[in-house]
Amino acid sequence: MTHGNSGHHGPNGPKQLPSVLATPAVVGAWRTRAAIVAVVFGLLSLVFLGSHEGRNHLLRAYLMGYMTCFNFCGGALAFLMVQYVSGGKWGQILRRPLEAMTRTWWLLVVLFLPVLFLMKHLYVWAAFPNKSALLNAYHQGLITHEQQLTAASKLTMLSPTSAVVEFFIVFAFMGLVITLLNRWSVQRDADPQAGTVASFDKWRVRFENLSGPSILLYVILMSMFVIVFVKSLDVTWYSSVYGLQFLVAQGYAVLALGILTLILLSRYEPMKTMFRTTEQHDMGKLAFAFVMLNIYLTFAEFLIIWSGNLPDEIPWYLHRIHGGWWYICTADVICHWVIPFCILLSRDIKRSKSKMIWVTAFMIFARFIDMFWLIEPNFNDAAGNLHLAGNFGILAYVTVPIAVVAVWVFFYLTELMKRPLINVNDPHTEELLEPEHAH
Amino acid sequence: MPVYEGVYGLIAEFNTPTELVNATKAAHNAGYRRMECYTPYPVEEAAEALHFHKTGVPLMCLLGGIMGLITGYGMEIWVNVWGYPLNIAGRPLFSWPAFVIPGYEWTILFAGLSAAFGMLAQNGLPQLYHPLFNAANFRDGATTDKFFLCLEAHDPKFSVTETRVFLEGFSPVSVVEVDH
Repeated sequence: MTHGNSGHHGPNGPKQLPSVLATPAVVGAWRTRAAIVAVVFGLLSLVFLGSHEGRNHLLRAYLMGYMTCFNFCGGALAFLMVQYVSGGKWGQILRRPLEAMTRTWWLLVVLFLPVLFLMKHLYVWAAFPNKSALLNAYHQGLITHEQQLTAASKLTMLSPTSAVVEFFIVFAFMGLVITLLNRWSVQRDADPQAGTVASFDKWRVRFENLSGPSILLYVILMSMFVIVFVKSLDVTWYSSVYGLQFLVAQGYAVLALGILTLILLSRYEPMKTMFRTTEQHDMGKLAFAFVMLNIYLTFAEFLIIWSGNLPDEIPWYLHRIHGGWWYICTADVICHWVIPFCILLSRDIKRSKSKMIWVTAFMIFARFIDMFWLIEPNFNDAAGNLHLAGNFGILAYVTVPIAVVAVWVFFYLTELMKRPLINVNDPHTEELLEPEHAH
Repeated sequence: MPVYEGVYGLIAEFNTPTELVNATKAAHNAGYRRMECYTPYPVEEAAEALHFHKTGVPLMCLLGGIMGLITGYGMEIWVNVWGYPLNIAGRPLFSWPAFVIPGYEWTILFAGLSAAFGMLAQNGLPQLYHPLFNAANFRDGATTDKFFLCLEAHDPKFSVTETRVFLEGFSPVSVVEVDH
């Protein structure tokens, strides 16, 4: 071997960019499967229309399924902006799946209409939308004195009109940023100067300038959205960390889904060439951080409220611990934290494709337990009283979220098929083709 | 401590990591096992070519963490339930949520210390003398821009003459015999 051979060619040299970057045809088959699951579980859910409590649970379970999809879409937007600001090869390889997730935002607008039209069945502030209605409801014994007083003091934020306005503000903002990020991403690849430093810099700066401020605005608006449509299921409770908890849950869910998508795609070109173990390992580490951050926030909130032991705050936890909820609460801690935490500690598992498929799928499953534990105990018939006897409608929490998420997955995969899987005009593309441990 | 004398090994100097990795792979294929690569920055292919073993540091870190958790949490339980029981706002003496944070801190502390000291215990540092520094070209190049492969004399396959011929086959900058 001579000194002239610097090792940039031959077996240790960079790989060739695959000639076809389009999404493999197999994604169409996955999409068909998602459609079948959606139809089957949608039909199963119709069973619950038969009874009053069934119909009630149908709507609550729908909200849970909806929020799971919202977390995928919103979390993807947050990650998309963060990776534009931070840079890094993990963000480049994850970019097109994230873009596809964000482009489902119009679906989330459509899917939210049932909640908007039926909100008086979910929220006290929607059932009794003004001070006199609240007072009447209190006199009739429909709500407690505390509910009446707190709902009356929160009318500016929590009323049907405000809710609709807030919904439109959140989605108008998300829609604008998502549209711009997605449009620019295509224009970036079509840039006549593509591949030059001038082009790299131009687009990098443009994406950074939009993403930076939008991250802040997104976090504020997303917090508002989850406070209005999830936290306010219990009007009497206050929590300043609620929005952040959802943000972390979004990161948790989106990383799990993103890693799962990339591993499944990596059985086919172009991801077979592009998706390296290094980036999978990086994303696994990031997922581990989110697993840890999630329990940190959840437990910190619990510890503070437990220490304070105030009658304003503590019932929220009592409703979620007593009367059978202990099992769900424990399952939530074990599935959402203990198991992913212990598994993701291992370097070998984070680098294994076959094992990470199961880990990420389990993490997505754990999200459902967490959402169930957050949503169902808000309602009087379930607070501190988890029961199945005479309450079979609660099984809607199994069928409806699966159906709603399957519908979302159908559109996610549809969007995924619309674009090449690699954003070519990015300096990271070349780096992704280098051997795992560059010389 | 035994007194080492004679030849420590032969070091071949290369200008590029690729040459080093290729030579290392060939040496491994030829049956050499007692060997080491020296590079100015981490070259993971070199570790792979050496078939470098997995270290025990992750396990020590894990065991340290578990020990810390048991110690911290156990101490909280002992102090609050038996050692110095206090009625705090009517809460039970075994108030497990309050013990989580000290338990967590001890976990991190023990895990961190176990990783650091476990690493030192296993890699033989601090080491005040190493025979390779007897070679002038190693002293000058090993931390700047040269890549070295050392085939050590205690390898059963080692022979001062044949191993030198073997190493020279890779056209290194030099092959130097290093004494203890």
